Amino acid sequence: MKKKNKKLIEYVFLLVIVLLIASFFVANREKPVAASFLEGPEDISRARIGVQLGTTSDLIASEEEKNGATVVRFSKTADAIQAMMKDQLDCVLVDSMTAGAFADANPGVSIMESNYPVEEMAIAISKNNPILKDKINRALALMREDGTYQSIRDNYFGEDKGLNPYVKQDVDRSNGTLIAVTNATFEPYEYIENGKIVGFDIDIAQAICDHMGYELEMNDIEFDAIITAVQSGKADIGIAGMTVTEDRLKNIDFTDVYAREGGLSILVRNGNNEGDMSFKDKLVQNFLEENRWSFLLNGLVTTIIIAIIASFIGIVLGSLIAFGRTTADMTGEYKIMNAILKCYLTIIRGTPAVIQLLIIYYVIFASSNVNKVLVAGIAFGLNSAAYVAEIMRSGIMSIDKGQFEAGRSLGFSYGKTLWYFILPQAIRNVLPALGNEFIVLIKETSISGYIGIMDLTRAGDFIRSRTYEAFIPLVAVAAIYLVIVIFLSKGVSMMEKKLKTSSH
Amino acid sequence: MENNAVIKIENLHKSFGENHVIKGITTEINKGEVVVILGPSGCGKSTFLRCMNMLEIPTDGKVFLNSTELTDPDCNIDKAREKMSMVFQHFNLFPHLTVLKNLTIGPEKLKKMPKEEAENKAKEMLKRMGLGDKYNHYPEELSGGQKQRVAIARALMMDPEIILFDEPTSALDPEMVGEVLELMKKLAKTGMTMACVTHEMGFAREVASRVIFLDNGVIAEDGTPDEIFSNPKNPRLRDFLSKIL
Repeated sequence: MKKKNKKLIEYVFLLVIVLLIASFFVANREKPVAASFLEGPEDISRARIGVQLGTTSDLIASEEEKNGATVVRFSKTADAIQAMMKDQLDCVLVDSMTAGAFADANPGVSIMESNYPVEEMAIAISKNNPILKDKINRALALMREDGTYQSIRDNYFGEDKGLNPYVKQDVDRSNGTLIAVTNATFEPYEYIENGKIVGFDIDIAQAICDHMGYELEMNDIEFDAIITAVQSGKADIGIAGMTVTEDRLKNIDFTDVYAREGGLSILVRNGNNEGDMSFKDKLVQNFLEENRWSFLLNGLVTTIIIAIIASFIGIVLGSLIAFGRTTADMTGEYKIMNAILKCYLTIIRGTPAVIQLLIIYYVIFASSNVNKVLVAGIAFGLNSAAYVAEIMRSGIMSIDKGQFEAGRSLGFSYGKTLWYFILPQAIRNVLPALGNEFIVLIKETSISGYIGIMDLTRAGDFIRSRTYEAFIPLVAVAAIYLVIVIFLSKGVSMMEKKLKTSSH
Repeated sequence: MENNAVIKIENLHKSFGENHVIKGITTEINKGEVVVILGPSGCGKSTFLRCMNMLEIPTDGKVFLNSTELTDPDCNIDKAREKMSMVFQHFNLFPHLTVLKNLTIGPEKLKKMPKEEAENKAKEMLKRMGLGDKYNHYPEELSGGQKQRVAIARALMMDPEIILFDEPTSALDPEMVGEVLELMKKLAKTGMTMACVTHEMGFAREVASRVIFLDNGVIAEDGTPDEIFSNPKNPRLRDFLSKIL
């Protein structure tokens, strides 16, 4: 057995090395791409434009779409920039304050002069919470009076950028906790540095809480989920450089404006490929700088926790459903229960897991403040249970009827017969299918990012959004999943062998 | 005599959908009797036997074990079945359990017998049956005859008042029939009450205290082996015997 494990580890290492070499070649094969054709802002109506979904840029680009432009919407601006560097887009529309940061990080990207109107940013808040809105507005007014606001502003946009960061005040926070959501991909408004959500908006939110005597809980979720989160009561406020628009006002309310910024900028490709890094530098940048490997590690732990919770729920609930279904089928009774179970299986197996996850988080757990990882575990568990149920049912059905009769004729009840005689044999028969279900499950958890969980996939996404490098983080994440699945399959086949020998 | 009946059957009917298999059987099986049930294939022998322990639920009529009515919907059938074991044509040993565990699981889980006591009892029983060295094996490692002997041992472990045999030798290779019949003969000598569906005429003649001939869902003839084999009255029975002997 030990020798075999050693062989497996060698095999996995070999695989990782092959992937690394492959990525080296792919990375070096990247061809230089010429500059964008745009000569001025008026050319944008002929261009392929990239924007972040749901942002002001999206609204403006949608107008250009009517003039003949092609608009591609991304969940991260960084993804749009990567697409532009691969000549899939001609330009990317972003708000001006973040444009500088993107251009600084990418020598191949320039800002094109343009004159989009000024944006007014406000904090999103539920329409049902006028008291909190009032409190925040008062805190904002107070911050402008006592100079807190100006000091935070100067720290991000003034001459002495970064020299005078806002420090969380030591105040009494007994008034409650303010749950805030943001989308930490707009530097310098909100972004992640050394594993923490930081930025202008975050400091503003902290200062508001300091003034109101509240604890601040900041969560990072997808931008287009912020309004839903606030509306459903999952969060008290959304602060993510949001401008007030008619559409948004239909669903939520806004506080007073806390910032006015110089509108949008057009980012274009300048044809400068000299800044390209060597493969080794890219590895250092993607994994070692700012300890980025730790995101992958934490993400991996989160993924595994979700998978364990989900498998447990899946096995227990799935087995119960299988019992219920086979009992109903065998006895011809419990018709109502059978119909309900069938309905459950049809719904779960007939709808995408992402939608189930979103419904469970935003609708079923809407008003309660349950840990997100637990919610994801429950959602994937409920999903997996449907598949486990059918696998187990087929296993139970595959056992000879004589086994059942033997158990019953000795005096074992229906349930005890299932437990002592049918189930152990059924599980042995369906173990490969069950193993396969858990392999599917662990990969399925990669959609946890939709409700803002930093799982393995999202950790890779996050590194991507910081380094503007698509290939290396994605391959790394893929390799980690692959290694988990290889070990899982190995475990399943070892268990199969063990169960087989126990019957010899 | 009335008090001696282990099993009492009153006007038993059983249908499978449109198919009326048992059409009114009334009889008793007394303590210590060895009753062999004969009949052409499809006459309902096995169904009749399986109605006795309610593996088939009768459509009409009553079945009693001692004074307990099994056909009563409130009857605890699991408790009643502990007193009436069954031996199947296809053995139906539990393939995921060792021979020993096949024997001990019933007394251990249902009668709460301590593990050690159950194991000692099982080993003692296996030794008597000439299977003393097999207790650690799995059923698939045994021959057909050995499997059926283990199945009989499993039935005996529950200390039943009656054992129902459903064609116990039909699935065996010819050379293995003898060892199983031999064991059943020994069992009959100990005074065990038995009801047996079989095609083994030799066994019926030699061991049975009573033979029931079923035809078309009813008892066509009921008597001692001598009456049945030497002096059959029913024409269908005569026809059956002429084909089989």
